Amino acid sequence: MKSARYLGAAATLALIATTAAQAQDACPTKGGTLTFSYTAEPVALSTLRTTAVTVSLMAGKIYEGLVSYEGPEMTPVPGLAESWDISEDGTVYTFHLRDGVKWHDGEPFTSADVKFGIENAIRPYHSRGKIFFGNVTSIETPDPLTVIFTLASPVEYFMQGFQMTSAPMLPKHILETLDVSDRQALINSSLTSEPIGTGPFKFKEWVHGDHITLTRNPDYWQAGLPCLDNIVMRSIPDGVARGIALENGEIDLLPMNSVLDSDIARFEDMDSLEVSMRGDEGLGGIIWLDVNNREEPLSDPMVRKAISLSLDRETIRDVIWYGYGVPARGPLVSTNPFFNEKLPELEFDLEKAAALLDEAGYPADANGHRFTITQRALPNGEKFIRLAEYVRQQLGKVGIEAKIETSDYAGWLKSVFTDYNYGITSTSTDNRNDPTIGTGRRFHTKNIKVGATFENAGAYSNPEVDRLFDEGAVAPTREARKAIFDEVQEILVDDMPVVYLLEIPRVSVWNAKVHGLITNGISFYDNWAKVYKEE
Amino acid sequence: MAFSIPPFLQFMFRRVLQIIPVVIAIAALNFLLLSLAPGDAADVISANNGGASAEEVQALRESLGLDRPMIVQFFSYMGGVLTLDLGQSYVRGMPVLDLVMSRVPATLLLMVTSLALAVLAGILLGILSSTRYGSLLDRVMSIISLLLYSTPHFWLALMMIVFFSVHLGLLPSGNIATIGGDFSFLGRVWDVFVHLILPAVTMAMFYIAVYMRLMRSSMLEVLDLDYITAARARGASEKKIAYSHAARNALLPVVTLAGVQIGHALGGSVLIETVFGWPGLGRLVYESLLERDTNTLMGILVVSSVLVIVVSLCIDLVCGLLDPRIVHK
Repeated sequence: MKSARYLGAAATLALIATTAAQAQDACPTKGGTLTFSYTAEPVALSTLRTTAVTVSLMAGKIYEGLVSYEGPEMTPVPGLAESWDISEDGTVYTFHLRDGVKWHDGEPFTSADVKFGIENAIRPYHSRGKIFFGNVTSIETPDPLTVIFTLASPVEYFMQGFQMTSAPMLPKHILETLDVSDRQALINSSLTSEPIGTGPFKFKEWVHGDHITLTRNPDYWQAGLPCLDNIVMRSIPDGVARGIALENGEIDLLPMNSVLDSDIARFEDMDSLEVSMRGDEGLGGIIWLDVNNREEPLSDPMVRKAISLSLDRETIRDVIWYGYGVPARGPLVSTNPFFNEKLPELEFDLEKAAALLDEAGYPADANGHRFTITQRALPNGEKFIRLAEYVRQQLGKVGIEAKIETSDYAGWLKSVFTDYNYGITSTSTDNRNDPTIGTGRRFHTKNIKVGATFENAGAYSNPEVDRLFDEGAVAPTREARKAIFDEVQEILVDDMPVVYLLEIPRVSVWNAKVHGLITNGISFYDNWAKVYKEE
Repeated sequence: MAFSIPPFLQFMFRRVLQIIPVVIAIAALNFLLLSLAPGDAADVISANNGGASAEEVQALRESLGLDRPMIVQFFSYMGGVLTLDLGQSYVRGMPVLDLVMSRVPATLLLMVTSLALAVLAGILLGILSSTRYGSLLDRVMSIISLLLYSTPHFWLALMMIVFFSVHLGLLPSGNIATIGGDFSFLGRVWDVFVHLILPAVTMAMFYIAVYMRLMRSSMLEVLDLDYITAARARGASEKKIAYSHAARNALLPVVTLAGVQIGHALGGSVLIETVFGWPGLGRLVYESLLERDTNTLMGILVVSSVLVIVVSLCIDLVCGLLDPRIVHK
């Protein structure tokens, strides 16, 4: 008993009928090269190795997911699969693949590729493989164009698992030549250095430390696309030099915070450049202070609330973050589809903070001093150092001495996630589109484990929160899940296990002659098939 | 004895043999120093993935061999070094030797060009300055050299880009060649040369000042010696005295310093390579350090120490040619 919830087939028919016309429309200008730069060069060309931004930016053009996504909420639309059915109980997903799709080396793309890739590479080795496919009990391929996923229990967010960054489709005929039982052999293979995908752009050359060139795939399944002939990622490690190259027209785009904050205001005044904070809603970046809940006095929710009350989020945004960002109201960003609109703004009130600390049993001594904590700063640029200084200054006003300790990134990771050698620390994290994927792991008791990175390092433990995250993960409908996560957000604001600070948009700047970049919630990772550049 | 090795070859042979223990000592020291830094590549790789569970981080650590006791890792690494196997990059998954060697040519090109430029210009300006000792030209050149010496590299680099690339549009702002350019062999050489000008000149600026000052004082010293007076008495022209009599002897300290500064130049190239997006070793050092890609880092240090030693050897040979007494000592 299956219900076709998505009438993808109808949409596809329409698509086929109008392919030529659409391609014309999609590409007002054809050809040309889009050159962009990011802070560093990628370490690989497949997210099988790492989903780091640099890698996702390039891999998303070469490899594709099973379906495509539209809009900031990442609505699945036909892609390599032209339609799909979901059983009523939400445990069987049947995908109907597009006919005639070819890998970049000319081999046909079939259901066998989907099954083999997910079972042998994505699920065991991709960093998100178990999140999305851990619950899959079988993948069947009754014919070359049909794939059936059977799940042990419903996973409402399952359709989000086919994003090109999370589950790139991999060629079985190449995987078969590799030792899939050896993680290193697989992630270091040609799959990640000379990729063969189905995407609109093919790998052309990689001059290490200098540039990577992708070139149009003439056999792309969407006739007439891509619009561009080439995409080049140029390595310009220095922020100032990147800005100059953009201003000078040598590059066309600086995506996702690769522009210096100090350059943004100037670029906004230039007609030749477009400054945008759109296109990354699916990531939902947020910064907060991670708090080590293990020890007194930070184990006391009243103390954590007092810290929250001592900080003025608008000052943080205006003075430190150059005016970009939205004061956070809880663990989810306000653009997240599960955000609880009823959450109030977080207050800034030093007197209330002091009163709370008194109430919690931490009176100030004659010098106004209550207690001392260790503060670490995320080693990710000047802003986090300035944030630490601001936090020290503000906490000092209510009698908390926050000593700052700094280290490089690897040292910070070890201090925070392995040694727990911190009281509070700034951190930056992505919500992703779904609390089960991006947020639950930061607060669930089962994720308190030595050495786990970006999980529950602060050792916050609340059985009610655990229960709600568990229920939210398996609740069958969006509405039911939303209600559960609304409740969880209220508890997480009331307990304040971490101190929420700012929703951080990623700023991208591009040449105003470039169009079509913003497509969905992870636009810069998208395939850029319809991106074009005016002459 | 029917056959004896010429002293020059003996000298070279001794110097080459010295390389081996030095490289081994450097590799061992690097390993020990890097193992003192907190955190490892498994932490960084999993964090760059947006985080991972403790089991996943541990599995990653095991697959990279980072869970083994430090002493085992040390001997396994040193064993590798002795057989020229520098291991795999933890982060990039390539053999370290391939990764490093792919960056060596760019760094060598930049380093050798800028040092040669600096030595040549420094020597000429130093001679000019010393022969016009106390003149206006001498003073102006002293001030300029002081300015160049004290200007931060990265600032100078950015100003060069702003002036020559943005305002004048004469030279490319970065990278080693035109991307996607379709050139003949000579066209390619010219293209790289054009890209090389800004980074090489910027890097040379600092060293020009050093060599000019050194050459100037060395020349002044030599010009006071008796044999110069004797040459003057024989009626040699001032030009001939300066360029052929004095300069040769005054060169020794400059060439010796150039040898010492190869290592310094490798370090200094990090900033220049970063600003100009030059695909050399310098940038790789920086990235590998942040990523705790210790295998790559140690590989770079081993290769660059060999580079420094080989270049110093060449400098020694030049010194030997300039002053044959050195070979016989």
